[in-house]
Amino acid sequence: MKIEILGPCLSVSEIQELTAVNSARFRDEVNAALTGSTMLIEVNLSKTRFMDSSGLGALFALYRATAQRDGVTLRLLSPMPEIQQLLELTQMQQLFEIVRR
Amino acid sequence: MAAPSIEPARPATLRLAFSPDLESAREVSVAIRHFLAEQGVAERELFSYELCIAEASSNAVEYAEGPLKCIKPIAEALCTPTQIELRVTDHTAGFALRERLSAPSPLTDRGRGLFLIQSVMDEVRYLRGTNENILVMRKKRLSSAAPKEALSRSPSEAPSLEKCQLQLAEANTKMEIMADELQLRSETLASVFRCCAELGSIDNASDGFEGRILIDLLHLTSADWYVLRMLSPDGRRLVVSAASESDLDSGPVELWANGNVSACIEKLVAVGQKAARFDMRECFDPAEPLRAVGPEGTGHVCPLSFGGTLVGTIAVGRRSGDFPLGRLQDEVIRAFAEFLAIQTLNLRRQREDVRSRVITRELEIAQDIQHLLLPRTLPQLSGFGLAGGWQSAREVGGDFYDAIALGDQSLLLMIADVMGKGVPAALFATTMRGLLRGLASHGSDPSKLLSELNRLLYNELSSVSMFITAQIVRVDLKARELTAASAGHCPPLFVLPGRRSVSSMPIRGLPLGVMPDTVYPRLTARMGSPAAVLLYTDGLTDTRNAAGETYGMHRLKAWLRVNANPGRTAMELRDRLATDLNQYRGDAVIDDDQAFLILTEERVGASPRAARPIRLRRGSFLFPACACELKVGQ
Repeated sequence: MKIEILGPCLSVSEIQELTAVNSARFRDEVNAALTGSTMLIEVNLSKTRFMDSSGLGALFALYRATAQRDGVTLRLLSPMPEIQQLLELTQMQQLFEIVRR
Repeated sequence: MAAPSIEPARPATLRLAFSPDLESAREVSVAIRHFLAEQGVAERELFSYELCIAEASSNAVEYAEGPLKCIKPIAEALCTPTQIELRVTDHTAGFALRERLSAPSPLTDRGRGLFLIQSVMDEVRYLRGTNENILVMRKKRLSSAAPKEALSRSPSEAPSLEKCQLQLAEANTKMEIMADELQLRSETLASVFRCCAELGSIDNASDGFEGRILIDLLHLTSADWYVLRMLSPDGRRLVVSAASESDLDSGPVELWANGNVSACIEKLVAVGQKAARFDMRECFDPAEPLRAVGPEGTGHVCPLSFGGTLVGTIAVGRRSGDFPLGRLQDEVIRAFAEFLAIQTLNLRRQREDVRSRVITRELEIAQDIQHLLLPRTLPQLSGFGLAGGWQSAREVGGDFYDAIALGDQSLLLMIADVMGKGVPAALFATTMRGLLRGLASHGSDPSKLLSELNRLLYNELSSVSMFITAQIVRVDLKARELTAASAGHCPPLFVLPGRRSVSSMPIRGLPLGVMPDTVYPRLTARMGSPAAVLLYTDGLTDTRNAAGETYGMHRLKAWLRVNANPGRTAMELRDRLATDLNQYRGDAVIDDDQAFLILTEERVGASPRAARPIRLRRGSFLFPACACELKVGQ
């Protein structure tokens, strides 16, 4: 997993999978990278091959954390079809801005 | 070459026990994905299966508590051309799975895992055992591609190479089958040993015992249901003792009912004590209890019996007919059935043993009570001897006697028979003995004593519909006179004066507890010389020999006439009478209590004996006679 801060944008990428094994670490590391000037969080899911309910839980935790900050946008980038289907099945696509690049 | 056995199509199976941590749970879901890919499962389906195993395996790790945390969960995949079945065995307290979970709110953080499983699979069941549960997830296959190995074979390869590959594949298949069989057998043994260990470590061995072993059985045979029926105590019906799911818990099956009761599968197996397979697609009986497993259900029913003793039946199978249980699975079920039968019989024997030990101890206590009912010492008399004998059909009898020395060179002899046996009879005997000793300090008239005893005991005896027959004889040693009164008891026998003949004192009276305010007539007689008096209960005259003939009054009188000789002590007479009775009875079972009291005139100077009772055999005491000075007030 790679975390980059480019000005007001926090970019999370290179996520192979988001599961019960690494969801807590994902949550902690992203939270730690958030600063007062973060206005956009982009989670790049283009390389995420697998996600389970714990991974969904980690994304939900990030949603809650950003919802408490005014004007911060949370964006999921290019999820694979299976992950997209997972988000739709759990109606979580409503919570995120999903962008395909 | 051995002929190939006919086996139903078996699913390709992968079973993985994994360390109870999240990393291992994740590795298992990846391994199962690879396995399913090798079986030709379409790429687009693999994500769902990987997800389900990941969710179920994570739950199995996260919800295990205490010592159960150390037990490895198991993940399985069973693959047929038409269906994928995934199983995860957890060791948790389990949960109640609802038919279909609704979509959780996106704003909550719970309930997504099971919802996802139910969303992507066609059928989800949760089989609950005792701290061991199986989540079974099934889905029909969208495509039935051949396994990759078959697809990868090139048609351009040389025939000889192809032949070699085929042989190698066959050998590998055989090896896999043998390995599977070995694994199954070793796991069966492990399960059996685990159950044995559990049986040895829990207080109430039956708690959860069947549930645990039967979940193991489902696990080992890839079955998805079981119904355990146990034989009712009267041996007439099979009652459901445990079932994998509540819809299989049907009513009892009557084994020996006449009329138009249908011959259901479990009944036939139980009566014939022979295992049977069944397929619901071939069963048209609407009353068949196993119809509850579904119209396509298949299975195997085994009798639970050992050494010809039927304990119950076990039915195990699958709800769908996609891959019925095979020969190996049948063998495992039979092994489990035999193990269950042995354990059930062992448990029963253990319980019976404990019950028997408790009863024995209770009876020992009761015998101690009986011992206390009889006087530990009898009054010591000058020139006369007194001895008593008692033998009980059971540990606590209702027969007892007592002898009380009075202050005027006389004594009271009492013998009684409380109706019934056991502790209630012993309690009345104790009470009566205490009352008599209290009353005797105020008067010694047998008639009045019986009236007073009846007055004091009537309410208690009549309230429990019991009565007591009793005989009280006052013996005036100086005047050589007997005064007797009887409450429905056998007449005392005595040697008449002046001639060597024996008479009974013909006195009558109602037993104690029959009527209030009963008056008891008294009768007086003179003792012969040498004097001999015998008080006894009807257990003596009713003693039966092997031919069923009773000892009788005539024989008892004759015995007294022959044996009451000068110079023979009371103890000798007592021993002779006990011997005569036992010889007469022979091998016949003693069916009533026996008690007797003998007073005899011994020659002057007969040596006194120790007054300690001698225990001759279980439930039998003989009390020694004494030949000493009568001690006033003793």
